[in-house]
Amino acid sequence: MNRREAIQRASLVLGYALTGPAIVGVLQGCKASPELTYKPVFFSEDQALLISELSEIIIPKTSTPGAKDAGVPGFIDQMLKEIYTKEQQDDFLKGLAEFDADAEKEYGDHFALCTPEQRTALVKKHHDAAFSKGVDLGSTAWWNAGGGGKTPFIVKAKELTILGFFTSEPGATKVLQYNQVPGPFKGCVPLAEVGKAWAT
Amino acid sequence: MNLNIEAEKQNTYDAIVVGTGISGGWAAKELTEKGLKTLVLERGRNVKHVVDYPTMTKDPWDFPNAGRLTPEDLKMLPVQSRTNWIGQDTKHWWVNDLENPYTEKKPFDWIRGYHEGGRSIMWGKQTYRLSQMDFEANAKDGVGVDWPIRYNDLAPWYDHVESYIGVSGQAEGLSQLPDGKFLPPMELNCVEEVFRDKVAEKFGRKITIGRVAHLTAALPHDPSRGVCQSRNLCSRGCPYGAYFSSNSSTLPAAARTGNMTLRPHSIVHSIIYDEKKGKAVGVRVLDAETKQEIEFFAKIIFLNASTLGSAFILLNSVSNRFPNGLGNGSDQVGRNLMDHQYRTGAEAEIEGFDDKYYIGRRPNGIYIPRFRNIGNDKSTDFIRGYGYQGGGSRDSWARGVAEMSFGEELKESLTSPGPWKIGITGFGECLPYSDNRVTLNTDKKDVYGLSTLTIDAEWKANEKAMRKDMRVTAAEMLEASGFKNVSMYDAPNNIGLGIHEMGTARMGRDAKTSVLNKWNQVHEAPNVFVTDGAAMTSSACQNPSLTYMALTARAADHAVSELKKGNL
Repeated sequence: MNRREAIQRASLVLGYALTGPAIVGVLQGCKASPELTYKPVFFSEDQALLISELSEIIIPKTSTPGAKDAGVPGFIDQMLKEIYTKEQQDDFLKGLAEFDADAEKEYGDHFALCTPEQRTALVKKHHDAAFSKGVDLGSTAWWNAGGGGKTPFIVKAKELTILGFFTSEPGATKVLQYNQVPGPFKGCVPLAEVGKAWAT
Repeated sequence: MNLNIEAEKQNTYDAIVVGTGISGGWAAKELTEKGLKTLVLERGRNVKHVVDYPTMTKDPWDFPNAGRLTPEDLKMLPVQSRTNWIGQDTKHWWVNDLENPYTEKKPFDWIRGYHEGGRSIMWGKQTYRLSQMDFEANAKDGVGVDWPIRYNDLAPWYDHVESYIGVSGQAEGLSQLPDGKFLPPMELNCVEEVFRDKVAEKFGRKITIGRVAHLTAALPHDPSRGVCQSRNLCSRGCPYGAYFSSNSSTLPAAARTGNMTLRPHSIVHSIIYDEKKGKAVGVRVLDAETKQEIEFFAKIIFLNASTLGSAFILLNSVSNRFPNGLGNGSDQVGRNLMDHQYRTGAEAEIEGFDDKYYIGRRPNGIYIPRFRNIGNDKSTDFIRGYGYQGGGSRDSWARGVAEMSFGEELKESLTSPGPWKIGITGFGECLPYSDNRVTLNTDKKDVYGLSTLTIDAEWKANEKAMRKDMRVTAAEMLEASGFKNVSMYDAPNNIGLGIHEMGTARMGRDAKTSVLNKWNQVHEAPNVFVTDGAAMTSSACQNPSLTYMALTARAADHAVSELKKGNL
């Protein structure tokens, strides 16, 4: 579905036609909804939107920050550009396109333009499928995030989201806890005294 | 003529130390403190304590790409990156492999840092004594040559070094792993305590906290160094100076004497041998920046360029007297290259401690001292033995990737620490084999036009048999401790990856079969001392740095005493 179709559909849903400055903005793509909160250096705008919404489904904002708050979409974009090899980039983009194509097939829309319920359902479908095939991540799974190994797209996106999120300041300090200078090591203390998991 | 004499005078010192790593720093400290005007030559750049640790206080989010190396970084580190632990936080400590090539006849991971302080900045800090059993082993087994020293020769020097650098550890009274001068031990965590008690009960084996060169209490003689803050960011350089490195400890001590001249960018490529005098008189340096050749002279020379670096200098010091390299009449220079094998063992999960956690990132783990082929324990498959290193911890957020959930459920679950896991890896002794060797390669040159090394070494039958036992025995102990989901692992481990390479100029009793005497003097050139890993006659299974330091302090003491007697 292209942007014009999206507008038509939105008009139907909302029961009135968008007019004036609002529709001009949408047509020019400068006021897309959902909005991109950063300028991608690797992804196209559509790809960036998908990654942005996908990362937020994986780690949503709750009473604490979510993936978008932590800058995860920009992190993934930069990782793809600076860390992934050409082959890994192509592989990732192929997986992304297939994932989006499945959104169109299931819901007749780009993933980023689907409803939150539809997005969650699609992520669940792909996530369940990936894990039912038995993804062997081993105990050093998170290292794969930089290497883009032979894992399904949804797992790569999950790895990158988790890596980007928990190494970010909001993820490490607001969702988990972080102390660069803990002081003398205490080996065995009640969890209740410590609270949340350490980020590092 | 007069100009030359003048230049020679200017470039003359009492002693020259080649290298500033863990042993070179000690040579510099001991020689300068004993009053010798000492020139310390470092092939790389200056690294001043604290000032030159650019990443030491950075947080995870200060590094782009979660600290991962880029493909461009990796292009320059094809060998160094085999370690798999180099990131943006430490990449400046590892050599550019393209500028520092060598030839691998068989895979050999040569992991290096060319800068002031060398690998003492990035070392693991595990600090163990060799024992009487280790010094007797070669003679008893008829392997290699006999060490020319015994434990009692080195014991006072172990004391001397430990007292100065600060070693945290627990005295255990084991003959195979002598106790030292310890600062208070670091704590075990809850599950490590269980493992210690179960293994003692079921096997009669000790598990102790790692002995590490970290301060757990102040050092009265060195107030510049502080107590460990459990940041576990050590290899970036420590702002507190809490772990020992040449930069935090020995080089500043040497500088304080006023007797040290430290010259960076100074690549020593050969020793000058004066045939008329019948002795070594100095070293030839290639200035890495100006590409100038400079000669420096001294009464004694300490080679502390690392096991392979020192072997290179000896092999590359060709003269009429020494056509195959200085001090190489025995043809043993470059031979008997050893390392420690590791990266095999077992891991398990532990139930019943979900309400327990820890505070701090302890830069240390547990240690299981060698028990194989000691007392009544006899292995039929191999001689010598291994120790284990490892530890317990709770799984981090990284476990989230493999969890079945996503979204709020995943986020919520990751705010709690994951299951307790425990893992150990063996560290196994390697025997000295004369055909595990390095040779000079005059065809392949480095960026400075200097010859390079060819390395031809491999694990052999004894190491392979030991490796199997390291894995199976690890699983046995975890099982017997009642832990769940015990699994064995065996990760790829080229020789060299232990970064404990040693043995290329071994000590011995006979000049025909060894390079160094019992004081680390080159048999055939007694004013040249080699006191880095090259000197090792056998590898034992303990992390070796402490022994290099103790040998260095002992040799420096002997050198100065001989110098005063006019014997050198």
